[in-house]
Amino acid sequence: MGANFERKNLMNKFYKKNFPIILFIFIPVIFLWHPNWLGFLGVQPYWPLFWLLPWAMINGSINGIIFGLFLGLILDSLTLNSNFTQIPGLILCGFLFGRIKFHSDIFVGHFRYGLICSFGSCLCGFLYFLQILFKNSADSNFFLFIPSLQNILAEVFLTGFFAPFFCSQILRVFKLSGAKSTLKNVLKK
Amino acid sequence: MFDIRRISNSRWWHKKKTWILFGIFLFFVFIRISKGSLYKDFYYFVSRPFWPGKFQKEVILNSVDQESFIKLNLLNRDNIRLREILNLQESSNNDSISAAVISRKTGSWWRQIILNKGSKDGVEIGSAVIGPGGLLGRISNTSLFTSSVTLLTSPESKVGVWVDRTQINGLMVGLADNYPGLILYSKDADIKVGDFVSSSPASTLLPPNIPIGIVKSVSEELEAKKTAKISLLAKPHVIDWVQILKEKI
Repeated sequence: MGANFERKNLMNKFYKKNFPIILFIFIPVIFLWHPNWLGFLGVQPYWPLFWLLPWAMINGSINGIIFGLFLGLILDSLTLNSNFTQIPGLILCGFLFGRIKFHSDIFVGHFRYGLICSFGSCLCGFLYFLQILFKNSADSNFFLFIPSLQNILAEVFLTGFFAPFFCSQILRVFKLSGAKSTLKNVLKK
Repeated sequence: MFDIRRISNSRWWHKKKTWILFGIFLFFVFIRISKGSLYKDFYYFVSRPFWPGKFQKEVILNSVDQESFIKLNLLNRDNIRLREILNLQESSNNDSISAAVISRKTGSWWRQIILNKGSKDGVEIGSAVIGPGGLLGRISNTSLFTSSVTLLTSPESKVGVWVDRTQINGLMVGLADNYPGLILYSKDADIKVGDFVSSSPASTLLPPNIPIGIVKSVSEELEAKKTAKISLLAKPHVIDWVQILKEKI
């Protein structure tokens, strides 16, 4: 019984410590899952930002850039668009998020996540849109793509709407699990 | 004063951390190059309990059967007769693979669906995918258990189509919204709202005459081009079962 209890305790500790990494693994899954009931105009919130914001706020810009790159690589591999990439947007967001300090007022801080994530989503969306425009500029068909700007608007709205809830929860979990030490542990191993 | 010297351990290439980060980076590059096949197979197993049930498949198949049965016999007879007149080869067997949609991204920039049949089931890159209504897209990538379909609405999609009434060829381009654009490279092209659009017999990517959509609106001509918006017949955001055509063009 004692051994069982110890094993359970160890498992709990393992999950608690590695929770940020487990969440990281599940970002592409939720990106693929695409739950329609959370969408608006068929568009989903930009999920990777909900993870990247707390991570970069705790660990700083360099970590934000590195994990922005990793997220970009994974998400690019899951989407079929081989001509366009999400990496520049996520790297830039990782860098900017890393420079944001925690707000002393919990309530204001809570809603600030919405604003920051909306801005990040807008940045990523426009960088992606510019790539599409640039690729189609030679055919002079780019004016046809203007209505797709609604994707950016819907995504910005949804990301900002859900960010206060998701980011606060993820940030709380990261703080509990000691996200800083998790990265160090990963690097030490 | 001069005893300050570099400790060899302080160089970046002596740090274990750097090499571990580099290793992780290489792993992600590998995932990127393999187009996420490992991840898609992982998702295949995770999402398995949530796949659309067989009941829905039966309902869809019954309704499609009822609709197609009468048309099929007539068309088949016509097809054989016309092919004999034109001295064309017998068309290949219209083999198809039924597959369930296990992931669906029909909004935003990334418009794709992932199916639960992969290279082990004989799915090949480039095959056309149809659903109730008509063409949905083409297979762009396969893993062992899954295959990914680029939808006609994706900004990556460009297929040759023709307008059935006037038999003009054009290019259908995905615009990252629900209505792909049709570009006709002629200022005088005769196209009207309500015209029926199907895959072009001149296309090297798709089998000919697969229904695609109806012209929703026609824009003013610009630089010797005419553009139109197409409303698709097959609705990828509600379809749970599709057919992958194995037909060679």
